[in-house]
Amino acid sequence: MTALMQVENVGRSFGGFVALADVSATFEQNKVTAVIGPNGAGKSTFFNVLSGVLPPSSGSIRFKGQEVTGLKQHRFAHLGVARSYQITNLFPKLTVQENVRVAAQALRTRYNLVQNRAAFPELVEKADAALGHVGLHAKRSRVASDLAHGEQRALEIAIALVADPELLLLDEPTAGMGPEETKDMVALLERLASERTILLVEHKMKMILGLSDRILVLHHGRLIADGTPQAVQTDPEVRRVYLGQNDGYA
Amino acid sequence: MSSTSHAAPVPLGAPQAVGAPGVLSRWRVPLSIAVLCILPWVLPSQALAVNVLIYGLFAVGYNLLFGYTGLLSFGHAAFFGGGAYLTGMAIVHLGLGWFPAMLVGVAGSSVLAAVIGALSIRTRGIYFCMVTLALSQLVYYTALQASNWTGGENGLRGFTLAKADVLGLTVNLLDPTQKYYFLMVFAALALWFVSRVLNSPFGAAIEAVRENETRARACGYDVERTKLLSFILSGALCGVAGTLSAIHLSIVPLDALHYHTSSIVVMMTMLGGAGSFFGPFVGALVFLLIEDVASLWTSHWQLIVGIVFILFVLFLPKGIWGTLIAWRSRS
Amino acid sequence: MDLELILMQLFSGLALGAILVMVALGLTIIFGMLGIVNFAHGALFMVGAYAGLWIASLTGSFWWALLVAPIAVGAFGMLVERVLIRPLYKRTPDDPLLLTFGLGYVLVEAVRITFGTDGIPFSAPDALQGVVDLGVGYFPLYRLFVLGVVAVILLLLWIALEKTRFGLIVRAGARDPLIMRVLGVDVSRLWLLVFGLGVGLTALGGVLAAPMRNVSPEMGTLVLAEAFVVTVIGGMGSLLGAVVAGLLVGVAVSMTALFAPEMATIVMFALMALILLVRPQGLFGRPGVGA
Repeated sequence: MTALMQVENVGRSFGGFVALADVSATFEQNKVTAVIGPNGAGKSTFFNVLSGVLPPSSGSIRFKGQEVTGLKQHRFAHLGVARSYQITNLFPKLTVQENVRVAAQALRTRYNLVQNRAAFPELVEKADAALGHVGLHAKRSRVASDLAHGEQRALEIAIALVADPELLLLDEPTAGMGPEETKDMVALLERLASERTILLVEHKMKMILGLSDRILVLHHGRLIADGTPQAVQTDPEVRRVYLGQNDGYA
Repeated sequence: MSSTSHAAPVPLGAPQAVGAPGVLSRWRVPLSIAVLCILPWVLPSQALAVNVLIYGLFAVGYNLLFGYTGLLSFGHAAFFGGGAYLTGMAIVHLGLGWFPAMLVGVAGSSVLAAVIGALSIRTRGIYFCMVTLALSQLVYYTALQASNWTGGENGLRGFTLAKADVLGLTVNLLDPTQKYYFLMVFAALALWFVSRVLNSPFGAAIEAVRENETRARACGYDVERTKLLSFILSGALCGVAGTLSAIHLSIVPLDALHYHTSSIVVMMTMLGGAGSFFGPFVGALVFLLIEDVASLWTSHWQLIVGIVFILFVLFLPKGIWGTLIAWRSRS
Repeated sequence: MDLELILMQLFSGLALGAILVMVALGLTIIFGMLGIVNFAHGALFMVGAYAGLWIASLTGSFWWALLVAPIAVGAFGMLVERVLIRPLYKRTPDDPLLLTFGLGYVLVEAVRITFGTDGIPFSAPDALQGVVDLGVGYFPLYRLFVLGVVAVILLLLWIALEKTRFGLIVRAGARDPLIMRVLGVDVSRLWLLVFGLGVGLTALGGVLAAPMRNVSPEMGTLVLAEAFVVTVIGGMGSLLGAVVAGLLVGVAVSMTALFAPEMATIVMFALMALILLVRPQGLFGRPGVGA
């Protein structure tokens, strides 16, 4: 197993508020890791730090052996980290295909004023392939904001996937979905799980237990457990934190 | 996720560019040039046609930033006026010919745009418009004070161009028709350039930034640099418009740098339809037609323009052309 | 250059700055609560000056003008919020901005039609004419009065913001608009009041400024730019920043006028550019808000 990303003693505070404290973890290739914890546990901050949205206040992050702490967010994308968002975060007025194509383009050409977009047919092919992967190929000419909620979530994943990222960060991919839509999404994630390194924030326990190789539990910004789903489930500290929070196991 | 639904059958085929699809979009540059060619013959006066040409181009340049990149600037008079002043100053003080003087104007306004853009992009969101306005006022007051160079309140005078030699041909700039077509050549070149930029990968990048900065950044776009480049291109195009205005008027009024000039281009772009290729020209045409017609019976035509503008913001925020496109694609 | 001249100039800078504080505070309060940059703010300043002029000529009293004009213009502001701005809250922040910009354009022209395009002189009441000896030098009484009025308004605002429920909500909302929803505040009524208050403040600035400069339809344009400069320097959404930066800009302009008159207007824009370079969030702004 090779370590894809190493997080060492990472902390992040806002003013006096410590959102993340002294978290260390190593993420290995082709594993699915879930990050769980009650609301306000620091999951979002953790994701934002790992994807370069926020620089950590302390500690360091290495990706493929390279120091990436404090790099700008767009550099993370170029190194191979892609993410989705908890709140649907698309290019609403562009077509479904263009949403994905422009994402693929970011890694290929950004300041090219001279050529026509059509000179890069491989970007369209990539976009169509990613859309096929999430089952949106038939809707690729639609405007993104016209899609149903579940479809928008799938598009969200396609935008992240088209970069062919080595590390895929998924922030609550099933947020706001009904049972049917969730089932489709889980099927999609299962397909992805076999071939990608995925880090996942989720609230739906059953889904996490089925998908993950490993679970990290955050509480008040600290990492309180890190292990296989079985180990974490029986961890007394985790049980204590989640006691009375049955909604977490929904 | 309804990956299995077959609700909307979509015909297979070549992917279409976003925006007004079809013939109109593909032929937008030749079409614009054709319209510009007949403009002096269909409008009430040739003077109006020249103004539509110059302000239309000004609005096209502005639209690249406002309509396509999503940045609302209230300081674009700095680039229009800057282009005009620098062209005039290059002729008056440096004794340059018309073409090098034009280059000076466009290059100068690009540099000005790089400086103002770099400063204003440091602020996010709505503060952008405040900073662009304030910095353009800085340019205005600097021009007012540097009267040895700019002529101060009286504007820059004394550089009447009687003729221009182009590739062995002599254009008589005192003849309105010849002058119009002379200026139109540059406007056409600028339009062709804008169209190319919009079709380029960079054109897609600025639309992505406009649609969702956060996501664009996550995809790997350097949002600040993308905005800055768009700002510079927009400033350069407005500089071309300013340059043409200097050659057309043979003077540069101080008003070219005034807030009022920045306002006009915002209104024109909005009226015509921000974020559409033809919108800015339509807006310039409508704005100047209102001015032309209304000023015949009242000196307060700006009241009418202002009210029309407010009604557009309230009820037709997509502008004239944008609304037409929306109707067409719905039916 | 003697000390007395410098003191006088410093003092007139403070008076100038006090007016800017009124305008910038109005702008900041409106922005903090409604998330709208009121582009008609300069025009409403000008309308305030003209309203003062008109009321003074009707009643023959500057004091009525000072009292009634800001209230009347503030009420007009509330009407504007209700009728024109309200339909736009669901749209992007650019749309209310564009609307107020159009409104400013219309107001300037409407005033030109009503009062003519030429500037009108407006003199301070007899009781406030002349100079007063403060021991260190003679100062124009009217400017002292302006400082006094602004100080009283700031005190009243401070009490309203610190000691009342209304103030609590305004302060909380300026920091984080989401809090409003959590607190279950009647947002639409609050916004109406806040817009009226912000507009009233700038109109008061207009009335106060009228005797210190020519009243003209174009007087609002520079004021709008000045208010933006103050807001950027002071820090996005910071009320304290608006006060400090307003006075700072006033003094900077005034002192520059003493040494290099031609640079007087330019200096504040240069100051803003400098702030953007070294501290883009402004003196009192928090990083991440607007920068």
